[in-house]
Amino acid sequence: MLRLIFQRLLALVPLLFIVSVLTFSFTSLLPSDPVDLIIGDTGTQEQYEIVRERLGMNEPVVVRYFQWLGRAVQGDLGTSFFNSVSVTGAVMQRLPVTLSLTAVSALIAIVVGIAAGIAAALRPRSWVDRFATLGATFGQAVPNFWFGLILVAFFAVNLRWFPATGLTPISASPWEWLRSVTLPAVALGLSASAAIARQVRSAMVGVLQQDYIRAARAQGLPARRVLFRHALTNAMVPVVAVLSFQITVLLGGSLIVEQVFAINGLGTLAITAVRQQDIPMIQGLVLVMVALVVIVQLATDVMYGLLNPKARPS
Amino acid sequence: MSENILLEINDLWVTYWRRSLLGLKGKPFHAVKGANLSIRPGETLGLVGESGSGKSSIANTVLGLVPATSGSIRFGDVELTSMRTHYPPAVRNQIQAVFQDPYSSLNPSMTVEDIVTEPLRVHTGMNRSERRTRAVELLELVSLSEEHLGRHPHQFSGGQRQRIAIASALALEPKLIVLDEPVSALDVSTQNQIINLLYERRDALGIAYLLIAHDLALVHHISDRIAVMYLGHIVEEGPSDRVYKAPAHPYTKALLDAVPLLDPEAQRRRRAARKSAPAIDAPRVSTTGCPYQNRCPSVMPRCQDAMPPAYPVNGGGTASCFLFDGGAVRHAPAIGETA
Amino acid sequence: MTVQSAKEFKTARRPRRRLSASLVITVIATSVLVLLAILAIFADWIAPYDPLKQNLIEALQSPSAAHWLGTDDLGRDVLSRLIHGCRIAVIAAAEATTIAVLLGVPIGLFIGYRGGWWDWVVMRTVEAIVSIPGIMVAIVIIAILGAGLHKAMIALGILYSTSFLRLARGVVLAEREEVYVRSARVIGASDGRILLRHIFPNIAPPLIVQVTLTVGAVLLSEAGLSFIGLGVQPPDASWGTMLNTAAAFMDLNWFLAIPPGIAIIVTVLSVNLLGDVIRDAVGRGIVVGVKPQTPAARFETFASVAADSPLPPRREDEVLRVEGLQVMVSSREGNEVPIITDLSLAIAKGETLGLVGESGSGKTLTGLAILGLMGAGVRTTHGSITLNGRELSSLTEKQMEKVRGNEVAMVFQDPTTSLNPAFTVGSQIAEVLLTKKGVSKKEAWERVVELIHRVGIPRPEERARAYPHELSGGMAQRVAIARALSCNPSLLIADEPTTALDVTVQQEILDLFRDLQEEFGMAMLFVTHDLAVAADVCDRISVMYAGEMVEMAPVDALFANPRHPYTRGLLRAMPHASDRNPPLPTIRGNVPRPGFWPAGCRFSNRCDFRIAACDTRVPLVGTDRLARCVRAGELAMEVAS
Repeated sequence: MLRLIFQRLLALVPLLFIVSVLTFSFTSLLPSDPVDLIIGDTGTQEQYEIVRERLGMNEPVVVRYFQWLGRAVQGDLGTSFFNSVSVTGAVMQRLPVTLSLTAVSALIAIVVGIAAGIAAALRPRSWVDRFATLGATFGQAVPNFWFGLILVAFFAVNLRWFPATGLTPISASPWEWLRSVTLPAVALGLSASAAIARQVRSAMVGVLQQDYIRAARAQGLPARRVLFRHALTNAMVPVVAVLSFQITVLLGGSLIVEQVFAINGLGTLAITAVRQQDIPMIQGLVLVMVALVVIVQLATDVMYGLLNPKARPS
Repeated sequence: MSENILLEINDLWVTYWRRSLLGLKGKPFHAVKGANLSIRPGETLGLVGESGSGKSSIANTVLGLVPATSGSIRFGDVELTSMRTHYPPAVRNQIQAVFQDPYSSLNPSMTVEDIVTEPLRVHTGMNRSERRTRAVELLELVSLSEEHLGRHPHQFSGGQRQRIAIASALALEPKLIVLDEPVSALDVSTQNQIINLLYERRDALGIAYLLIAHDLALVHHISDRIAVMYLGHIVEEGPSDRVYKAPAHPYTKALLDAVPLLDPEAQRRRRAARKSAPAIDAPRVSTTGCPYQNRCPSVMPRCQDAMPPAYPVNGGGTASCFLFDGGAVRHAPAIGETA
Repeated sequence: MTVQSAKEFKTARRPRRRLSASLVITVIATSVLVLLAILAIFADWIAPYDPLKQNLIEALQSPSAAHWLGTDDLGRDVLSRLIHGCRIAVIAAAEATTIAVLLGVPIGLFIGYRGGWWDWVVMRTVEAIVSIPGIMVAIVIIAILGAGLHKAMIALGILYSTSFLRLARGVVLAEREEVYVRSARVIGASDGRILLRHIFPNIAPPLIVQVTLTVGAVLLSEAGLSFIGLGVQPPDASWGTMLNTAAAFMDLNWFLAIPPGIAIIVTVLSVNLLGDVIRDAVGRGIVVGVKPQTPAARFETFASVAADSPLPPRREDEVLRVEGLQVMVSSREGNEVPIITDLSLAIAKGETLGLVGESGSGKTLTGLAILGLMGAGVRTTHGSITLNGRELSSLTEKQMEKVRGNEVAMVFQDPTTSLNPAFTVGSQIAEVLLTKKGVSKKEAWERVVELIHRVGIPRPEERARAYPHELSGGMAQRVAIARALSCNPSLLIADEPTTALDVTVQQEILDLFRDLQEEFGMAMLFVTHDLAVAADVCDRISVMYAGEMVEMAPVDALFANPRHPYTRGLLRAMPHASDRNPPLPTIRGNVPRPGFWPAGCRFSNRCDFRIAACDTRVPLVGTDRLARCVRAGELAMEVAS
């Protein structure tokens, strides 16, 4: 298993490298001149040159990339063009918020998705299947932010069960955190749980037709055991393979859902940064998000290896 | 070598590399290890072996689907290996193929007419109506008819699909057709129909066949010569009847002895003989020397040292076995005969 | 199954009158999308008000006769804005999807076919893009290009092109390995020709499905981007910007969020549902039933099939007894077609009965019918199966579970697929012992090693810890046999257990079956298409053709003197049978599919001995050996002379 983890880690190196190149080169394409942004309209030519020198803009782009990469590896993502705060600091401050929202919604999506998928696959064409399939199709058509608005209108404004806005840190009050995270997490998790449910269903239906399922039944193993041990283990293989993709989607969705619930997470930071053309901030945010995705990918890869002996290095 | 050789394979090696983690070359796997074969015009060579013996790799290399790693394949007076997989049209139209699985060898989105006339479109300047006339001719050659032209492959049974594949292979009247297990996916009762068809077309058109199969008995019926492969090596080669009736190499014998017979009494005798023979319990692959040494009942110490060269055998052909060293044709104890 | 009344099983199932749900969905979804298109095109005429015209006095009104869906914060008519939003939605979906297809498909085709470094670099880049959350990619691209509908759609187009790229590449990679593409290369077709003529037509179906998925995703993303203010810019009306407004006034007038939300959901739902229908239709299109090649042929009407076989004589040591078994399968058209009719057989302790036949003869299904595992759409309509004196049809599923493994076990054709890839082979045998015999884990494992050793696998302790894919086919089949025998069943069903194996391995496995039978004394039902294999392991052989038994005889008698023309034809057609050059003996025609069996003798259309009497149903006759042929006696004499 250690070898598998090591192998996957090794495979992530080119990925991270390419992402950093992409991020850096794309943000270099931004139409605005960062120096202008900093010194404003009133700056003199002299000031312009000073700031330009300070930002290292006179160096060739390759040199700037490696300087940036070198600092980024040490955890220094630069300084915002606007308020001179450290990008690392700003991102780290918001990270727990987005992280807890994404994690809770992922948990909801996985639990609901797998349960619904299995229930549907057990009896294809039954009413349970039709209901689950219809629900999944519907769930994938609902915009998460709209669902969030409706949840707020009903459960927060009307029934007052949950707060309408904000996210209390878990360290401040676990109970308040749970109350405040519920609505946004449900809004965010809906479409992912629908997608997972569909995948689980089709994987289960496929696996249930395999020879080894028939063989296990022919051996007289209890139906329940065949289902949950023999079928589910194999059905989870393709599901886990795309799980990291689903979580990536959730992370992206959280950027928008945060706006609905006025949650001060990475999304708000990102939107402000884009509006202000704050290059270091955008670069830093992308890198941090990719790092998160990569960690999730590593975890799902290891899970994949556990489920699928063929994926293990021999 | 004699001038009258259509296809000549000399010391052919085919190696596959396992893709490693980053898509770089990993461990080599030698599918064919120094094969020598030749086919005369109009002759049928049966190439027999079990799965993993390398027989399909030879077929794919001759067809230019897989590049040879080393060695030479001469077709007429053209050296094919130097072109890797990029054969010129003048060679392509002379070598055609019929593959094993008639369910996947025909493109589901094309009609029978498209499939049969595809070689004509690629290699000839025939117009549509000429192609159509030729397609009808070809279908009639394989006992199908004009009414089938517009249908799609899924509307046919396995045997009929194989007929369509043969019609397409015959379209350019090639000099050589590679038949890769052409009947093993078919029902027993339709297999012989295809065998007969192939035989009949060969006699009428003077085509040479390279017939790849796992069943010696079946190959024997339509082959002039038979070559037997084991783990990448050609271990025996010779006239069809000689190889089938008087196999020389211990592996060929074992292969023939393992084929169940239609005579229950003979089966019982063979089983009794096998029971009395000492059980061989060894891995199938050996690294140096003869590839069959670990399972061979006639193994000698020298078998471990080097791969035996091809020695001539009484009745024609060769066997790569030290039993035939020095021309002294000794009979390996046949399992069935000792009892 | 107990013998049901003839009436009950005669009622031929009419094609089910379920005007398929997919048709209803298609009609509704298409109507929605057509309506959307009409609204988009004629928005200027249809919308009751100017979508941009403000009227602050009438701001934030609820629905009324004047404003059917009320007004927003600036007093603009919501319905008019919604209708104009259709236009934006259509433009957005068309723009982004077109960009995605035009960008993704050609690159995907190219790198898939070309492979090598091109493929490596592009795929790593795509992986990198995909590992950034999609919205973030879009936001960065918008930051470069600036906000606004068209720029946002270019961003989404680039983003979604990655999925088309991967799709096209995946199809090419899969198609490259297809035998028909190899055939095209052998013919000498150029790379371009292969791509366009042989590969591209097969990319169309998944492409269409992906387009529908993308359209749905684009609509949602556009709404999302407009919602956070990076897509369509106010005052223009898009569903996303309308929701943005609604969010700000949620506590004043929550109804504002409803119309655009419903519009988005209904549109995306329609597109997705249509995509599902297309995907299912594509999947079905590939497997189309074979139409009868001889339109004038008469087919059997199955209500008339009577169980007329003589029942096998009862024996003291009988393990399995099947009487008058009939199995029906539901065809795609919804009616039921018989696949086994009138099958009776018995097997005694220590005896092996061979069930020999070609594809579609019903031989495999017979084995599964005994186990009660025929799968969906297949059911026993007639006959009884008795195992160790117990009628199996009277058992509940729970009781049947006990019977399987303990009293009857099965070995399947392909050992590499009949073992679960996720678990070690040892644990799969141990599992059976643990659940069926209730032994301790330690005992179970000891027994596993013993069994694996018994089936002739060297180093059993080590091999027990191997996964199925780490074993050769022969070794895996030995493991499957060990598992089947782990509870010492009285009947072992072997379904083509050597067909997937090499001939030298086949011999070893056949010997193993014989040895194990001597040791364990179980009865065996050995299903195979190969008469020679049957000759090796069976005591008696029953030949099946088109769902019924045509001949049954002790093994020596059958090979010495076959009575049914089909058996004779098969024997003569075996590669070993003749020792001469072609033409080899053949049986003309093809094996008929279930549902297309000739009336009367089902072999009659391929038989050289056909007479008028063959057109009426032929019973199975005889005592010690049985044959279903009106001329069986004559043929026997012919052979004898």
